[in-house]
Amino acid sequence: MPPSGAGSSAGFVGPESALLRRRAAWLGGIAVLLLVPVLVRQPYHITICVNLFITIMLTLSMNFVVGFSGQWSFAHAAFFGAGAYIPAILSTKLGVSPWLGFPIGVACVVGAAMLIGIPIVRLRGYYLAVCTLALGFLTEVFVRQATDITGGGYGIQRIPPLELFGTPLRGAAYYPIALAGVVLTGLLLSNLMRSPLGHAIIATRDNPEAASAAGIDVAGVRLFAFVLAAALAGSAGWIHAFYYLGLDGSILTTDRAFLWMFMVFIGGLGRPAGVVLGTVFLVLAPELLGFFAQNQVLWVGILMLAVALFAPRGFGGLLDAAMLRFRPAGRS
Amino acid sequence: MTFGSIAQVAASGLHVGCIYALAALSFYVIHSATGILNFVQGECIMVSAVLGVVLLPWMPYPVAMVLSIGATIVLSLLTERLVIRRLEARQADLFIMILSLLGLMIVVRYGTGALFGQEEYMLPGPAGAGVIEIGNSVFLPYQVILIYVVTALTFAAVHVLSKRTWLGRSLRVAAIDPIGATLIGVNLVRVRVVAFGLGGFIAAMVGWLYAPLYAAGYMVGVVPGVKGFIVMVIGGMASPIGSLVGGITLGLVEVATARYFSSLYSDATAFVVLMGVLFLRPEGLIGAKSRA
Repeated sequence: MPPSGAGSSAGFVGPESALLRRRAAWLGGIAVLLLVPVLVRQPYHITICVNLFITIMLTLSMNFVVGFSGQWSFAHAAFFGAGAYIPAILSTKLGVSPWLGFPIGVACVVGAAMLIGIPIVRLRGYYLAVCTLALGFLTEVFVRQATDITGGGYGIQRIPPLELFGTPLRGAAYYPIALAGVVLTGLLLSNLMRSPLGHAIIATRDNPEAASAAGIDVAGVRLFAFVLAAALAGSAGWIHAFYYLGLDGSILTTDRAFLWMFMVFIGGLGRPAGVVLGTVFLVLAPELLGFFAQNQVLWVGILMLAVALFAPRGFGGLLDAAMLRFRPAGRS
Repeated sequence: MTFGSIAQVAASGLHVGCIYALAALSFYVIHSATGILNFVQGECIMVSAVLGVVLLPWMPYPVAMVLSIGATIVLSLLTERLVIRRLEARQADLFIMILSLLGLMIVVRYGTGALFGQEEYMLPGPAGAGVIEIGNSVFLPYQVILIYVVTALTFAAVHVLSKRTWLGRSLRVAAIDPIGATLIGVNLVRVRVVAFGLGGFIAAMVGWLYAPLYAAGYMVGVVPGVKGFIVMVIGGMASPIGSLVGGITLGLVEVATARYFSSLYSDATAFVVLMGVLFLRPEGLIGAKSRA
């Protein structure tokens, strides 16, 4: 087996240059994305971008808890909804600053996820799927019925916008906030997965008994992953609430959690780059092909079933297979 | 809080509980024979009700009912043939199995929504619209009495089937030890077809029992589906009695909560009970054996 990196040009080997290149790629990507609101003038296109960023935050965090930690989380939409509703209610009804609403909302989501997570991180397979699904469903029903608090079907409208130095952040001015959300989510998760804790998360997924024998607190690590993913979903909810400035129960239905899960699977479970590409494709395709938009969850569900039956590792897996085929002299 | 109002709450709780128990039974017959928690069952309930609405204007009532139940059984068999058997042949992960079943659930739900529209329709009940009045405080629609009767008969039939017949014994032994079962001459494919057919049949009946009291539309399978698998988990997966007791208990508790506290909490009770059972007795309230 040849040493890894033997094919790359001299002078650009070693961990330091890999780090530099990664940083350059991140900064370049952010710079290009920051230009979008300058070039794109139509408010509708800004909305598409913000929606895309929010969805990527959700699929990346879903990929983290399902793909890396190996735990179902169909309550993801409920955590997203709590992160949106709590600051929206605080600012609309009690006049709490939307900025202050962010830490309050995320703290509430973290608290709820811990309370629920402690009993359920011991479960696996069908039991965990059923439990998180039931929790998501319960939240959905609660929001629909607790009209005094959540406004029921009417929802929460006329949410005050975020303000910076007295200027309300709306439309293109809001874009950097959504971009920051997705970039910070990506950085946090990619750094975490290269840290010892990240390796522990993978170990508890692949072999909990061995991980436990190696001194890892399996339940603790699983709880951490569950709560972190919930907190990220809650943050995405905050970004959602103060962009649209109106909420109703449809944002947190369990079907949306399925949609994100299917997107993750189609992109390639456990492959963040594939997940991002898959999400971009599945969010933008309905905008380009009109018929698709009507019934997004149906088409994504059909696509997911096709992938599960015929290409079980998602498009990320197909990409890997294609790469292997085009690199015949590569590692075995 | 008079005697009459308590009796009415008990009667309503009992019929809600019977629906949950039957839905749980349709999960149970499949799970007990194959180890699969078939999430599509809730949608089978919905499909049978929606097909009823579609077929009724064109044909006599019993024919529409038989056709809709038959089509639902076919849907359940197709789930097994086209999705589950394919994945098992490939020895796919439990993960992919769960995800595919959930995917199929969503596709059936929203596919029906796309084909038949998103409105809710009335499905006239098989027992007619009459009501029996007891001491002018308790009202029992014929449909509710039909629910009681069908639930009792179905559970009795499944009990006899599983304890007294060769088919029932082979269903049970296939779940415990598939390889040993084939050695003593059990045809595993037939066992699975019977389990999915029976599960589909029970779900289809639930459609005709449940929808007439509420409505028929593409979202109608969600509540009995979610409650059905919660009840199966609460009741334990060792025997159908667990589903019956769990279903009726949950129905009574929910209706009593809605009546005496607030309907806000009635759906929460299912979840709280589920969490409590999974935390304290992961093998369910009744029965000592569990299989994940």
